[in-house]
Amino acid sequence: MKVVVPVKQVAVVDEDFELADDGTAVDPDFLEWSLNEWDEFSVEAALQLAGDDGEVVVVTVGDDEATEGLLTCLAKGAGRGIRVWEQSLTSADALAVARVLAAVVERESPDLVLCGVQSSDAVNSATGIGLAGFLDLPHVAVARAISGGEGSLTVERELEGGLVEVVRIGLPALLTVQTGINEPRYANLRAIKQAREKPLEVLDLAGLGLSGDDVAGASGGRLRKLAVPEAGEGAEMLTGSAAEVATRIREIVQDRLSA
Amino acid sequence: MARDPKYDILFEPIQLGPKTLKNRFYQVPHCIGAGSEKPGMQAYHRGIKAEGGWGACCTEYCSIHPESDDTSRVSARIWDEGDVRNLKAMTDRLHHFGALAGIELWYGGPHAPCMESRATPRGPSQIPSDFELNIHPRYMDKDDINEVQQMYVDAALRARDAGFDIVYVYGAHAYLPFQFLSPFYNRRTDEYGGSFENRARFWKESLEKVREAVGDDCAIASRFAVDHLLGATSIQVGEDGVRFVEYVDDLVDLWDLTVGDIAEWGQNAGPSRFFEENHEKPFTGQVKAGNHTNKPVVGVGRVTNPDTMVAIIQSGQFDIIGAARPSISDPFLPKKIEEGRPEDIRECIGCNQCISRWEIGGPPMVCTQNATAGEEYRRGWHPENYSKAGNADKGVLVVGAGPAGMECAMVLGKRQMSAVHLVETDSDIGGCVNWISKLGHSDGKENLFRGTARGLGEWARIVNYRQVQLHKLKNVEVHLNSRLSAADVLEYGAEIVVIATGCHFATDGLNAATHAPIPGADTSLDWQLTPDEVVLGDKQIGQRVLVLENEGYYMGATIAQKLAGEGKDVTLVTQAADVAGYMHYTLEAPMLHRDLHRLNVDIRTYTMVDSIEPGAVSLYNVWDDRHKDKVEVDSVVLCTQRLSNDSLYRELKADPAALEREGIEAVYLIGDAQAPRMIVDSVFDGHRLAREIDSPNPAMPLPFIRERRLWGDTGNGDFESQLLAPSDMVTA
Repeated sequence: MKVVVPVKQVAVVDEDFELADDGTAVDPDFLEWSLNEWDEFSVEAALQLAGDDGEVVVVTVGDDEATEGLLTCLAKGAGRGIRVWEQSLTSADALAVARVLAAVVERESPDLVLCGVQSSDAVNSATGIGLAGFLDLPHVAVARAISGGEGSLTVERELEGGLVEVVRIGLPALLTVQTGINEPRYANLRAIKQAREKPLEVLDLAGLGLSGDDVAGASGGRLRKLAVPEAGEGAEMLTGSAAEVATRIREIVQDRLSA
Repeated sequence: MARDPKYDILFEPIQLGPKTLKNRFYQVPHCIGAGSEKPGMQAYHRGIKAEGGWGACCTEYCSIHPESDDTSRVSARIWDEGDVRNLKAMTDRLHHFGALAGIELWYGGPHAPCMESRATPRGPSQIPSDFELNIHPRYMDKDDINEVQQMYVDAALRARDAGFDIVYVYGAHAYLPFQFLSPFYNRRTDEYGGSFENRARFWKESLEKVREAVGDDCAIASRFAVDHLLGATSIQVGEDGVRFVEYVDDLVDLWDLTVGDIAEWGQNAGPSRFFEENHEKPFTGQVKAGNHTNKPVVGVGRVTNPDTMVAIIQSGQFDIIGAARPSISDPFLPKKIEEGRPEDIRECIGCNQCISRWEIGGPPMVCTQNATAGEEYRRGWHPENYSKAGNADKGVLVVGAGPAGMECAMVLGKRQMSAVHLVETDSDIGGCVNWISKLGHSDGKENLFRGTARGLGEWARIVNYRQVQLHKLKNVEVHLNSRLSAADVLEYGAEIVVIATGCHFATDGLNAATHAPIPGADTSLDWQLTPDEVVLGDKQIGQRVLVLENEGYYMGATIAQKLAGEGKDVTLVTQAADVAGYMHYTLEAPMLHRDLHRLNVDIRTYTMVDSIEPGAVSLYNVWDDRHKDKVEVDSVVLCTQRLSNDSLYRELKADPAALEREGIEAVYLIGDAQAPRMIVDSVFDGHRLAREIDSPNPAMPLPFIRERRLWGDTGNGDFESQLLAPSDMVTA
C-alpha cells in the first residue's frame, strides 16, 4: 500500500512569551520547533499499514525549519519526503495548506492519506478534512483504530462521550488519526544518520502547477491580531508554602461544598 | 529570565553588626571533610556556593585548640598561623564572589576525644560524653575557665586575621558553652552552676571577651540549640531557651538557631524519611515569634522550596534562610531563583549521605543529588558548567535510565555530545528509585516531626531533577518501553555505548555473610520475596514474616518497618551487631529503632539463617553455631546480596569484531551494572564517566589532586598556581 502522510513542524511556545511587533504571531525568539504530536501516530499507522512492500511518503508545507520534522519521519522508516515552500505561504491558513497538499497527493496518487487529527499549535482540525474535500476523497475523522487492507479499511472513530463509531471505507481514502492509536516507534542513531541520504524533494507552487491565486482562493480567513487574554475577575491567586496553599484550597472546597 | 517578584524579599540585604549580608541565603556551618588540612577543597567547595549566590558561607566546626580535637572526624582548626594561611584560601574565594565568610569556633568538651592531640578535654562537670565512648572531661576550675575563654579570644583574633567576617561562639549540639548552660551536663555549685544566670555565665563571658577582641571588625554569632529535646532534664525552648536568647541578645549580631544535641543530631539534620521540610519551626520559630530577640535570626530545616523560604520570612519565623544540605545538593540554589528558573533547583533528598562520610570520619563529603560536591577542587568539577567534550561529534547510546544512566546521559548532553539516546525498558525513567521511593508507610501514629508519614518519597527527586534536565537538552532523546538486545545495540549506530542496566537481588539467599546460597531460599516461590517484590505487591504476604537483612544499609530494616507498620508480625534478622548499621552514619538509626521498637519488630542480631523450609526458618548465632533457633513464618523476605545485570555488556564485549564492524568504538559499564552500590555512588559513576568521556581511557578514572604534604618539599604548588590566582578569580 502506498500512503501519503502530511505532517507539520509545530511551534512550541515558551511558558513566558511575547508577540511579534505586528501582533499576528508569537515572537520567534520564544518558539521552539518539533514534529506535531498527532503526526507521530499517523506516521506510525502509515508504516504499519504500508508494510515492507509499500511506500510511505511524508509531505509538509513549511520553511527550512520543517526539514527536521521530515527527517524525523524518514528516520522512522518513511521512504521519501516532500517539502513545499515559498515566501507567499507564510500566512497560509489550514485550507490554503490543504489546497497545496491536494496538489501533492494528486501527483502521488496514493491508496491512503493519513493526517493527524489536528496540529498542537494552531488546533484547527481543518487541514485533513479540507484536503479530503479538495480531493473529493472519502474520509473518516478521529480514527482510534484501523484494520483491514486491500481495497477497504475498517476504522473506529472516536465520538463524544466515549462513543465509538465503526466505519468501513473504500480506498483510496483519507483518515485523520488520533493520538494513542499505536505506540510510535523511535529511530536509532543509525537510522537518523541514514535519513539524510533519503530522497527529500523541495518544491515551490509552480513546481506543483499551482499559482498563488489558486492557494489564496482556497483560503478561509485572515489572521488579524493575536492577544493575550486579560486576567478576569473572581480569580484568587494562592501564594505561600505548599502547606499554606493546600490549607487554603481545603477551605475553598469546604466552603463550596457547604454552600 | 528575571526572577519572580514574589521572591524579591529573599534578596534583601541584612545588617549583621559591622557586616552586610547581601541577601537572605546563608550556608550555615557544616562539615565536608576538608577542615584546615585540605585548603583547596575547603576554598573551592565554599567558593562554588558563593558563586551560586549564597550571601554567606561558613566553615564547619572549627577547633580553637588541640584540647578540642575530634579525630577521626574532620573539623576545621585554627590553632596557629598555618591554619590561618590555609583558611584564608576560603575567605579570599568567598570575598571574590561577594559573600561573607563565617567561622564556627568550637570547643567540644568531653565530646572531643582528642585522639590525635592526646590532650585532655575540659568540661563543666566530670560527666562522660553521651556521644563518644568512654571519654571523661577534666573538671574546670576558675583558672581552667579563664584559659579556655582565652582560647576563644586567641582563635577569634586569628579568625579575623584569616579574613572571616562572622565569628561564632558555637554552643549548639551540646558543645562546651551549652554544657555549662544545661543542667544535664552542669552539676556545679559555684558561680558557674545552679541558677540560670550561673549556668549562662560561661557562655556570656565568652561572648563578651570575643566581642571585645574582634567585635568592631567582625559580626559575632552564636549557634544555639533552643531546645535539647530532652524535656525538663535540659534546655527547653519555653524556659531557658528563650531566656538565654534574651539574656545575651546584646552580645550577638546574629542568632543561628537549632535543636537537639550531637549525640542525636539527626533531630537537627533530619533525614527525609522521618522529618519534613522546616521541621524545627515548632522550636526555633518561637524565638522571633515571641519577640525574644532584636537580632537577625537564621535557622534551618532542609528548605529547598523558594515558596517555603518566602513563607518563613513573611511569617516572621526567621530573617535569614539557613541551609546546609540544600546548599550541598544545589550550590546554585539562590542564583536559580534569581534567574527565574526554580525548576532547575537540584533539591536535597534528605538521604544524609553527606553526613555519613563525616560520621565515618575521614572521607570527603558526597551527595546523591550533586555528584560534584567535594569534587570542586580535586577533580575540577563545577556543578553547573560543562566543557564541550573533545569527542562531541560521537553519538552515544546509554542503555538503562536508572541513577547512573540518567546522570550519565544528562552530563553527556550538557557536554554537547552530538546525540545521546537514553533507552529504558520500563515505562518511566528512574530505575530502582521508582520502587525505592515508594518504600514507607503511614499507620496513623504521630512521630515527633513528620506527622504520620514515614518513607522515602523525597528520594523521587533524584528522578524529577534529571527528568526536567533531560527534557531541556535538545541533543538527548529518551526512549521508554524499549528493551535492547545485543543485536539492537550493535546496529544502533552509536560510536559510544554505555551499559547501565542495574542489578537484581539474589533469589537464592546468596549473601555477604556466608558467600553461599541459603538452603531452601528460592524467591520463585510465592511465599519468598526479594525487597522489590514487597513494594510491587504482586505476592501475597502472610501474617508472620521474617526479613533477612544482610546488606547493612536501609533496605531490610525499611522493609521490616513497612510490613510491621501494615500490621504484620515481623522478625528482623541480621548477621551484624545491629540492623542497618550504615543508618547510624546517616543519622537515621535512632528514629528507625524507635519505630521498629514501637511496632514490636523482633530484632535478632549476630544471627544468620541456616535454612528455610515451608512454614519455618532455622537460625544460628554467628559466634556459636551450636546456638540455634527456629522461627515459624508464613513469608520470608531476602535482603541478601545484589547481582549486576551485566549480561548485555558481557555479550557485547565477547564479540570485538562485531563491535568494530558496526563502528562501536567503546562500550562502558557503569553503576549497579558494574557493581551494586549505594545510589550516591551510582550517580557519581555515571557523572564521572561523562565528565571524562574524552579522556585517554574513560573507563579508568583520571587521578585527582591529593592535598597531601610532600616530604622534603617546602613549596606549595597547589596554592601558588591555583588557589592564589585561579583564572576565574582574576578581575579586570
